[in-house]
Amino acid sequence: MKTILEVQNLCKNYEDTKVLNNINFKVDEGEFIAIMGQSGSGKSTLLYSISGMDRPTKGNVLLSGKDISNLEDEKMAEVRLNKMGFIFQNSHLLKNLSIRDNIVLPGFKSAKLLRDEINQHADKLMEKTGITSVATHDIKKVSGGQLQRAAICRALVNQPDILFGDEPTGSLNSSTTKEVMDIINAINREGTTVMIVTHDVKVATRAGRVIFLLDGNIHDELLLGKYNEDENKSSSREKRLFEWLEKQGF
Amino acid sequence: MNWLIVKNDLKRNKVINLALVLFMMLSTGLAALSMLIAVQTFTSISELYKTAQPPHFLQMHKGEINQEEIDKFMSDYKGITDWQTITMVNIYGNSLTVIGNEKTYDLSDSRLDIGLVKQNEAKDLLLNSTHEKVTLHKGEIGIPVLLKDRYNMKIGDHIILADNEIKRDFVIKEFILDSQMNSPLVSSTRILLSDEDFAMLQGKFGEKEYLIEAYFTDSKEASDFQTAYENAGLPQNGQAVTYTMIFLLSAITDIITVFVMLLVSVLLIFVSFISVKYTIMAALEEDIAEIGTMKAIGIPFGDIRELYLNKYRVLAVVGVIAGYLLALLISGLFIKQINATFGEMRLTPLALILSLVISFLVYLLINNYCKRILKKIKKVTVVDALVSGKGFDKANGGIKDGLYKSKKLSVNWLIGIREVFYKFKNWTIVFAIVLITTLMVLVPANLMNTFEAPEFITYMGSSLEDILIEVEEGENLETSYVKVKEVLENDNSIENYFEYRRVRVKTTDSENQLMNLNIDCGENAGNDLKYLSGKAPEEESEIVISYLNANEIGKEVGETMVLFFDDKEQEFTISGIYQDVTSGGYTAKSKYIFSDIDAGKYTFSVNLNDNVDEEQKAEEWSELLGAGITVDPMEEFINQTLGGVVNQLKTVVFGIILIGASLVILFTILFLKLRIAKDLSEIAVLKAIGFSEHDIKQQYMIKIGFVSITGILVGIILTDFLGDRLVNVALSISGLGIKKVELIANPVIQYIVFPLFLLMLILFVTWFVMRTIKKYNIVSIINE
Ligand SMILES: Nc1ncnc2c1ncn2[C@@H]1O[C@H](COP(=O)(O)OP(=O)(O)OP(=O)(O)O)[C@@H](O)[C@H]1O
Ligand SMILES: [Mg+2]
Repeated sequence: MKTILEVQNLCKNYEDTKVLNNINFKVDEGEFIAIMGQSGSGKSTLLYSISGMDRPTKGNVLLSGKDISNLEDEKMAEVRLNKMGFIFQNSHLLKNLSIRDNIVLPGFKSAKLLRDEINQHADKLMEKTGITSVATHDIKKVSGGQLQRAAICRALVNQPDILFGDEPTGSLNSSTTKEVMDIINAINREGTTVMIVTHDVKVATRAGRVIFLLDGNIHDELLLGKYNEDENKSSSREKRLFEWLEKQGF
Repeated sequence: MNWLIVKNDLKRNKVINLALVLFMMLSTGLAALSMLIAVQTFTSISELYKTAQPPHFLQMHKGEINQEEIDKFMSDYKGITDWQTITMVNIYGNSLTVIGNEKTYDLSDSRLDIGLVKQNEAKDLLLNSTHEKVTLHKGEIGIPVLLKDRYNMKIGDHIILADNEIKRDFVIKEFILDSQMNSPLVSSTRILLSDEDFAMLQGKFGEKEYLIEAYFTDSKEASDFQTAYENAGLPQNGQAVTYTMIFLLSAITDIITVFVMLLVSVLLIFVSFISVKYTIMAALEEDIAEIGTMKAIGIPFGDIRELYLNKYRVLAVVGVIAGYLLALLISGLFIKQINATFGEMRLTPLALILSLVISFLVYLLINNYCKRILKKIKKVTVVDALVSGKGFDKANGGIKDGLYKSKKLSVNWLIGIREVFYKFKNWTIVFAIVLITTLMVLVPANLMNTFEAPEFITYMGSSLEDILIEVEEGENLETSYVKVKEVLENDNSIENYFEYRRVRVKTTDSENQLMNLNIDCGENAGNDLKYLSGKAPEEESEIVISYLNANEIGKEVGETMVLFFDDKEQEFTISGIYQDVTSGGYTAKSKYIFSDIDAGKYTFSVNLNDNVDEEQKAEEWSELLGAGITVDPMEEFINQTLGGVVNQLKTVVFGIILIGASLVILFTILFLKLRIAKDLSEIAVLKAIGFSEHDIKQQYMIKIGFVSITGILVGIILTDFLGDRLVNVALSISGLGIKKVELIANPVIQYIVFPLFLLMLILFVTWFVMRTIKKYNIVSIINE
């Protein structure tokens, strides 16, 4: 398997407090990684340092072998635009645009494809996530689950190499969480690498590997293997994860 | 305690508070300054008039006089308190050579009629800068401030008077204030000699002109007196002027300055209002939850409002006091000018008090306005504030779907333009400020340009020509007329010329009293003038009259009036009414030439061929024609008469541009700071999904650029519509013979230079402010 992301000796300080402390790990193409850990352990910081939204204090981040940790703002933005997708706890859609306009926006910005092609691609994504019916709606007039799906569509419109999520289901109820996670698993199956931060054990069981952060260090990691709905082994995955997490002191 | 909150808040939003204080300071400052200047000008003039005592009625006369006849008429006229006749020896500028420290020059380029006089006994005195009657010794000379300023003369400079084989050397002893001729708009100026020198020189050279002056118990008598005087057939070969006119002409520069400043200060008060409203709204929105909580636990509206009001009161007090002090500081600049024209005088207590009062009024206005805005707290319900998240923004207009349809436009432009288009409300304040700034700069700039434009003369009752020749001498009138004709006929540098003869007839005023009417008649009479209503006369049975005459006569275009002359009466139809400042504003024009009565004056308007130099030609003719005939190149003439007004306006306009620029800079900063604070999470999202800081900067520049362009455009259109109105209202208040002026814009400045400058400035500031988005941490914003 090819390595898509490699984090080397990553450190992040805010003034005097060390938030990330010499983090090292590799992510293979097509992997699904969940990051867990106590509140304040640095999960979000890790995600944002990797994606260049926050500058690492020290260390390197290699994306497909290329060091992106010291790119200037413009180049970094281009990487985020074309190679990375983001979803957050809140959908963070732009409030002046309709659902569909929000989704095509990064596509239009990137201009890798013709606008017609982007529109077609967006239509497909919306169909897949089941929000075609609200495409033209004002974002204030749709449900939280629909918003989050729209956010996923937006993150995927440029066909990124890797999809990041910072508690993407944090504000959803359990049934919507399941629906959203199904979508993310489906995307992962189609080849997109996924890396999400979560507190939710159910969500974490969807991942192939779980990384546990403690005080800015990778404390341990657990290999769960590819998630497969059909096998219906989810309950045993869940048990393994629970036991492991207990060992971490979660 | 409340004050702690105020203090903390002031610390928190330094830039915004500073901008607010500055706006309040500028608006107060200008209001106070215009009050200072207005009061100071009027008190200075009255102070000067108290000692100098300019005449209530003045008739200039070239030619012989019979003093006994005048004395008899004056002593018989009721209401007259004093009268005197002053002898003035008119000389040409080129007979006066000034030997200064650095250079030697003569005054031949002065368009003023220069008259030598001696000091009067008690009235119409020539004073020094401390309002003392100037007495000179033999060999000393007193130069009017007007000439001093134009030529930059110094005390101690020598002046050689050389004319007609006479050559005398004088030393400048004093610069004198001439209460009746100190306006550059008056065409004559007086130079003071000692009694001895004057007695010795009188009659040896130059040309005598008499100033017949009268004083009344009430200066308003003057206009009735004028009619009586003229009807009595007393000497009247020259201008007649009344007290009001003398006063107005003296004060005109300052009147215009004050007018412009008041206009700008009113606009600035609007700016303060807008900014205060915007910041208050931003603060309220930010604090919506606290406000909701306070309301929920039952704190009365008044108390909550007080909490916010205190902060703005503090800002307003600081701003207003600073503005007042600023006005005092800057007033020095203008007071210096006022002192130079009207004599030394400290700032009067009245000026200080009235400007303080106006500053306090500005404070009250702002305070009241804040209270009004804060009423919103009352209207917002606890549910709005805490639960529904609606806040103060009630209607939140729907979002238009459709960005995806765009085929070409880059994403930054799409976002920018769509926001301006669909969310203009968020930007109206920028629009308003840009519009106000545009008005604030362009109206005064156009006013200045109008005074400088050659066409301006047509507002003042003259037609636009290259050279104006006036023959005004009593007994030599007809021979001089023939002489001028001869010269003009034989000069091949002339494209064309028109002649007018001035006659005096009688008519009846609105109260059916007989009154005199001066008519300039000729085949071209009334053409090329600006008409308030109607048009130039076409038939011999038509007449056009000046605006002031129309008021006096009480008739309008289309009505007929009867003229009495040469023992007969004849009916004329009024075909037009025009505005005029020449001859005190009381004139008329007709094609009918009244050949039965004698002319009192001849005027020739001459247009030269394109390549002929006007000034040179005027000089040539002037020498050829000799005394008693004035030859004025119009452009130069306008420059010299209006130069003072234009210069002061230039200073003012320059100041306004500075104010406008700082206003735009400060405001843009203030606005963007608040705007960015509101948009922070959107900016963070844009960054997260792959927009660079550069893209975001570009989006804001597009947004603000578009709004500014709209503001500038509307501002320009309003300038064209409103500018004229404003100026005309001011003019009709002023009582001059002008009622309507169309501002003449300099198209390059109004349509290209200024808009581009303003736009560039705004964009530059935006670019600069947007650099600060770097420092915001997206992570913490997104995670909020
Ligand atoms: N901008 C910042 N300035 C200073 N300290 C910060 C900043 N952002 C985060 N921190 C600190 O860094 C540490 C890690 O924060 P981070 O948001 O990464 O934690 P997290 O693991 O995502 O927590 P949570 O599960 O609550 O989201 C915390 O102690 C936090 O206080
Ligand atoms: Mg977090």
